[in-house]
Amino acid sequence: MPYPMIDRRTALLAGAALLGTRPALAQAAADALYGPDDAGARRGGTLTVAIANEPPNLDPFHQAGDARTAVTVLMYQGLMYEHASGTAKPLLAETMAVSDDGLTYTFALRRGVRFHTGQPMTAADVKYSYDYVRNPSNGSPGAADFGAIAGIETPDDHTVVIRLSEPNASLPMTLTNRFGCVVPRDTFANPQARTRLSQQSVGTGPFMLQEFRPQSHIRMARFANYWQSGQPYLDGILFSVQPNAASVLVALRSRRVDLALLARPQDAEQLQGQAGLAINAAPSLRQCSLDLDCNHAQLRDPRVRRAIALSIDKHAVMQAAIGGKGKVLGTIPAAMQESWGAPIDTLPNQRPDAARARALLAEAGLADGFAMDLVSIIGFEWMDPAAVTIAQQLAPLGIRLNIQRVELGVWLNAFRTRNMRFTFNDWGTQPDPHILYYRHFHGAPRGADFRNWNNAEADRLLDAGMATPDPAKRKEAYVAFQRVMDESVPTVMLYSPDLVTVAQARVRNYVQHPTGWWFGLAKAWIAA
Amino acid sequence: MLEAVLRRLGAALITLILATGVVFLVIRAVPGDAIGEMLGQSAGDPAAEAALRTFFGLDRPIWSQYLAWAGDLLRGDLGISMRQGMPVAGIVFDAFLVTLEIGLATLAFAILLGVPLGLAAGARPGGIADMAVEGFTLIGLSAPVFWTGMVLLILADAWLGWAPPLVYTPPDISLSDNLEGILLPVLALGLLQAAAYAQFTRQQSAALLRQDFVRAAAARGLPWRVVFGRHVLRNIAIPLVTYAGLILVQILGGVVVVETLFGIPGLGRTLLAAVQGRDYPVLQGALLLSVVVALLVNLLIDLAYALIDPRVRGA
Amino acid sequence: MRPRLMLLIGCALCAAFLVISLAPGLFAGPPDAVAVARRLEAPSAQFWFGTDESGRDVYARVIHGAGTTLGIVGAAIAIAGLAGGGLGALAGFAGRLPDLALSRMADALLAFPPIILGVVLASTLGSGAVNSVLALSIIYVPVFYRVARAAALMESGRAYVEAARTLGHGEAAVLLRHVLRNVAPVVALQGVILFPLALQIQAALGFLGLGVPPPTPDWGASLQESRNYLTVAPWLATFPGLALLLAALAASLLGRALQARSG
Repeated sequence: MPYPMIDRRTALLAGAALLGTRPALAQAAADALYGPDDAGARRGGTLTVAIANEPPNLDPFHQAGDARTAVTVLMYQGLMYEHASGTAKPLLAETMAVSDDGLTYTFALRRGVRFHTGQPMTAADVKYSYDYVRNPSNGSPGAADFGAIAGIETPDDHTVVIRLSEPNASLPMTLTNRFGCVVPRDTFANPQARTRLSQQSVGTGPFMLQEFRPQSHIRMARFANYWQSGQPYLDGILFSVQPNAASVLVALRSRRVDLALLARPQDAEQLQGQAGLAINAAPSLRQCSLDLDCNHAQLRDPRVRRAIALSIDKHAVMQAAIGGKGKVLGTIPAAMQESWGAPIDTLPNQRPDAARARALLAEAGLADGFAMDLVSIIGFEWMDPAAVTIAQQLAPLGIRLNIQRVELGVWLNAFRTRNMRFTFNDWGTQPDPHILYYRHFHGAPRGADFRNWNNAEADRLLDAGMATPDPAKRKEAYVAFQRVMDESVPTVMLYSPDLVTVAQARVRNYVQHPTGWWFGLAKAWIAA
Repeated sequence: MLEAVLRRLGAALITLILATGVVFLVIRAVPGDAIGEMLGQSAGDPAAEAALRTFFGLDRPIWSQYLAWAGDLLRGDLGISMRQGMPVAGIVFDAFLVTLEIGLATLAFAILLGVPLGLAAGARPGGIADMAVEGFTLIGLSAPVFWTGMVLLILADAWLGWAPPLVYTPPDISLSDNLEGILLPVLALGLLQAAAYAQFTRQQSAALLRQDFVRAAAARGLPWRVVFGRHVLRNIAIPLVTYAGLILVQILGGVVVVETLFGIPGLGRTLLAAVQGRDYPVLQGALLLSVVVALLVNLLIDLAYALIDPRVRGA
Repeated sequence: MRPRLMLLIGCALCAAFLVISLAPGLFAGPPDAVAVARRLEAPSAQFWFGTDESGRDVYARVIHGAGTTLGIVGAAIAIAGLAGGGLGALAGFAGRLPDLALSRMADALLAFPPIILGVVLASTLGSGAVNSVLALSIIYVPVFYRVARAAALMESGRAYVEAARTLGHGEAAVLLRHVLRNVAPVVALQGVILFPLALQIQAALGFLGLGVPPPTPDWGASLQESRNYLTVAPWLATFPGLALLLAALAASLLGRALQARSG
């Protein structure tokens, strides 16, 4: 390994979170939001960050894309924060209390929080924001996540009570920064709201939007009235939009940018030995996977799906796709393996086994193999070498893969209409098993069951995991679910690419969040 | 004369209406829409999807969408980008200015390099200069322009140890950064267009040299320099100027891949992003602009010819 | 250069490309032999053009790519020539309403920059060799249409066509026998002239990822893959690009020579 595998700062951060579970140290946990505080931080300066994946807009309510979330987390905040440790911590809320039946969540709001517009945040703003997201006719991609909420009440200006129609242990994680942002009430009453959100931010976050010029840059400035006093350290951030992975490397080498997250982790090789660049790798919540539409041709037969799973050597695929710079997965993304994953070596279908694969295929009456399309998405570079490798791995089984490339728009259309066939996928999650699995794998109409899996046992376990508040019991349910997934194979999770951040020496105290979003910039500073 | 202009304008208008209609139909035939990107893999709620479709007017029949768009257009409104939420007019105009800068710089380079080469070649057809220039035009016109750009990037790194910023800085922020950013794309495009210019200039001057009045002048014993200077250079100026218009149109249409390679936020990349993101209003606006510019330039060229050449005036 | 010499060189190059396209196996080994151990090796005696990201032989991929790239462009030009040429001849000969309608449609298509039209069409049709052929041919149909129409207009005004008409030959027979016979060479020449342009569009589509899917070797797609290693492994970009240049050059030489001959 050319660079350290364990990110020392992430380890530190996890330690801080553990301490934070003791009530006396609640303040320490709050301080650990976004990353560690730094008493020696120098204030001021603008940090230039390269982004190769540009958000189409900065509307936290109507844009699902990761590129949007990556930058809006600095401008908008939810009641909770998806802590790197995998638990939700209070952010705009000060405390959270859950009723015994798990149906009522009471949040006491943080005092002295102001929006970028200048007005103070009250319970009515929270109610407005969450009522807006969960109303499907407002067209927010987060609507389904908020579906468990039956009603929101505001007994006073600083208290929000959320009532659920059934227990849902993932509610705190739902109220984090992807779709759980709080904006001033009646923001969307203005018909120009969508246009305005690309020109000025209205959140409570540490940075406010100064200028967004598509295909060029996003400029943010420090929010002077930010509720956490003394934060952030930076005066501003300039996100410089780069046309491709190669230009990010050029910009880092020529010191035109201070910080970048490599889209292709293997590019770290090309930066080795470059003086003044700090390269850091950490496990991510992203997964590169192979999805199997359980309603598509030969894939209807679970034995065929298992035979495919048993023929894939994930290490070889990862080597070809990203030069081996990631973690091979079992049934959960790398950054959640320890907290929520079924131990990979206890899963029976995670190791290549040609004999068993052949036997399963023969049992299914397909001893001579068959031909099938493998769909990859244009613009996702890792999919091309991965497709070639998987085609080679399935060839001995007699499965002849014909690689088909489609545009993202076409692919998303097929995916959402549950017509994905046999395809690559590349997706991320917040660190909660319910958010990760439920929508993708639970049967309709409660889940979206994109893969037409229709597995009653899986549904039962997912419902159990959702309803159980006790973390240990929750994990049990999700481990059992993963065993079903390993056996029935609606998806083959291949690997999580490492989050490789590269920073110039002057960048201090930046800690990469496992989501790949830019939370860490709230605590970063620039050395003189 | 006026009648001819009006007739040309009428034809251009019909072309425009047809062209916008074609793009309206074709882009909607592409599977997937902007809403897919908004919802991503979070989708699952058909109500949210339907609500968005209604919001953007995508639930109406195509002819009604087209009429609405055309109606707004007549009021000078190009609509709002579905992806960016910003007015299309601003997006397209900003992008056009960037591309225009590249286009004009390329044109200047192509003229400064191509015209002298073409004249040198045309002055002595069959001579060494002519052969060399022919070689240059053949290779220049055969090399894919984005590949020329890649080769320039490789050479800049290997010979100068210099890597250009692959992002665009507007000239009002920093002129030097701006020039640094557009240098290689302009060179890549410029080499291609200089080859085209050299070839055109050579053809024109060779054709002039075959004309009777030039031959007669040479036969009268006038020095070659005088013949070339007085008869060829003077007469070649007009076609060369009109050719500039054609080249400019070609550059504006052909920069897509170069802009992608060098990270230039011009009209080409905007169009490409609009196609890929199914941002119908931006795509329509950007195409409309490039078609209008092409039609206008062609019209101007025709008019220029008509004004200069009395034989065309009656036609 | 004299037309004779151009014709000679152009024909020789075209013949060479034709042979390579039809029988790449004679010149290089398999294009898909993956060997991660020898990835990104510089050109050597063993690998003349070096190796790529997956350790595949770049020389073999360039040689095998000829068939894909040139085949797609050739097929597209042929289809566009037949369709555009036929329609153009029809419009030029028939005149009046068909001519007007077709000409306006052609103008509308010609108003778009070809590469943009290519991107839109490739997105609509989807990727793959057949769809690339379709997209490219649609781009060039109006160009052929215009050329054929102009030629047909000229021919149909000629005395012999008038004569044929008065002699009582049916319209169709006249169109077929006289007009097409004289329009066909013009269209064929136009095909040779358009070949290098279509080749560049095909390469650009491949570069944008809209061409043929992997692992099929294709010059434009190879250029796309080379982009991440431009300065680390410059041979990845150099050789497929040179191949494109040579192929376009071959067609240009042939086109110029033929143009000079036909005046």
